[in-house]
Formats: sequence, structure tokens, C-alpha cells
Amino acid sequence: MTTIAIVEDNADNRLLLQAILDGLYDLVEYENGIDALAGLTASLPDLVLLDISLPGMDGNEILARIRTDARLRTLPVIALTAHAMSGDREKYLAAGFNDYITKPIVDETILLSAIERWLVSSRGRSS
Amino acid sequence: MDAYQTPGAELPATDPAALDRLKRFGGGKLLGEMIALFLAAAPERIAAARTAFTGGDVAGAELALHSLKSSSAQLGAMRMQRLSEQGEHRARGGALDGLPQLTDELEQELTRVREWLISVRDVGAA
Repeated sequence: MTTIAIVEDNADNRLLLQAILDGLYDLVEYENGIDALAGLTASLPDLVLLDISLPGMDGNEILARIRTDARLRTLPVIALTAHAMSGDREKYLAAGFNDYITKPIVDETILLSAIERWLVSSRGRSS
Repeated sequence: MDAYQTPGAELPATDPAALDRLKRFGGGKLLGEMIALFLAAAPERIAAARTAFTGGDVAGAELALHSLKSSSAQLGAMRMQRLSEQGEHRARGGALDGLPQLTDELEQELTRVREWLISVRDVGAA
């Protein structure tokens, strides 16, 4: 089954993502950037959902490290953020995120569509 | 799922549709678990914000208030979301003055939100 890594420090947000994604994908969860980078390197998922506001290393820094790591750099990474300011989407895409989903999650089909879009794109690149 | 209206407030304090949404995502079980996690974490986040701004830790205050904003929004605690967001913006701008009053308001709002969510949970479990 396709594996999605969730990097999210808040237990309630992880629980919500489990409720939406469980049964559709295998899920692995990380609560901080250090554990996430070690885990992603040890076992490469098919896609990463990455929270931006994390204690210590934030989502932007984790993404920068993913994009400069030869083993990880082609991973599709979707930003999950409650920072919903005007211009944020462009900012995150310019930083190297593949997509950008805002919290709270109101319409789960937006998240599911983004995941499928980037999984298909990633499979196309690797085939 | 009855909402409550804060006296004098122009905007609604709660959005019961958010709770219906959580039920759609994962039924009453998810809703109950999300409420339990929120009620356990919200006091800690308010306390963390207070500790952070008392110590001049702008980033810590911003992170605690950001987490509270996100969780409040997902559960439809709209007034708490707005208060958290105000504090988050102040902290991000380095303006920690005013945050003591804001955390007092958050604690008062949490009392109302707790009552609302417990009533919703109990009705849902019945």
C-alpha cells in the first residue's frame, strides 16, 4: 500500500488525519523534524504531509533539508498549515512544497485530491 | 448541537457545523476523542503561552497560540480561534504587551468552550 508520512506535533491534528486517511494509505507519523528526517531516510514514504509550525525545526527547514538530500529530494511534500495569509500559497510553492493545504480541514476531498495528484505525478516521474 | 453567543459579541462564539464535520470524518468516536484531546491540551497551551511571554520567548508564545488557534478552529470554537490568532499575530510582531490580558480572556473563553463541548459530547454519547 502507498505510504504517507505525517509530520505534525499536535495529537488532535494527527488523529484527524488518521480518520480521513486510514484505510486508504499506510501512515507513519512523526512529531518533530529530527525524528521525521531520520525516519524518512530510513524508510522512504511515497508522500509527506508536513506541518509548518513545529517546535524546534519548523516545516520550512525540514523541507529545505529534504530538497538538499539526494535520497529524499524528489519526495512529494504537501504543506499543512493554519497560517492562511494572503500570498502564503505562492510563498510555500516557491519554497519547494508541491502543494499547500490549509487547516482547519473543512473539505477532505481537497486534501485527498492533492495527495492523489502528487502521487500520480511522482509515479509518472519514477516510471 | 446548540451554540452559545457571547453577550455583546458581534461574531458567533462557536460554529456547530465544525462538529458535524468531525462526525462525518470519523463518527461520534472521532468527535469524542477530538474533544478530549482539545480539553486536555488547551489549558496547557494557554499556560505555555503565558510562560513564554513572561520569559520574553516570542517564538514560544507564537507557537502555543498558533496550536491553540488551529485546534479551536477544527472544533468550531470560533471566539477562541480569534483570540488565539490575535495573540499569535502580536507575538509574531514581537509585541508581547497585551498578552497577559489576552491569556486571561482565553482562560475565560475556555470555561465556556469546555461547557459547550462537554454538553455536545454527552448528547452525542446518549
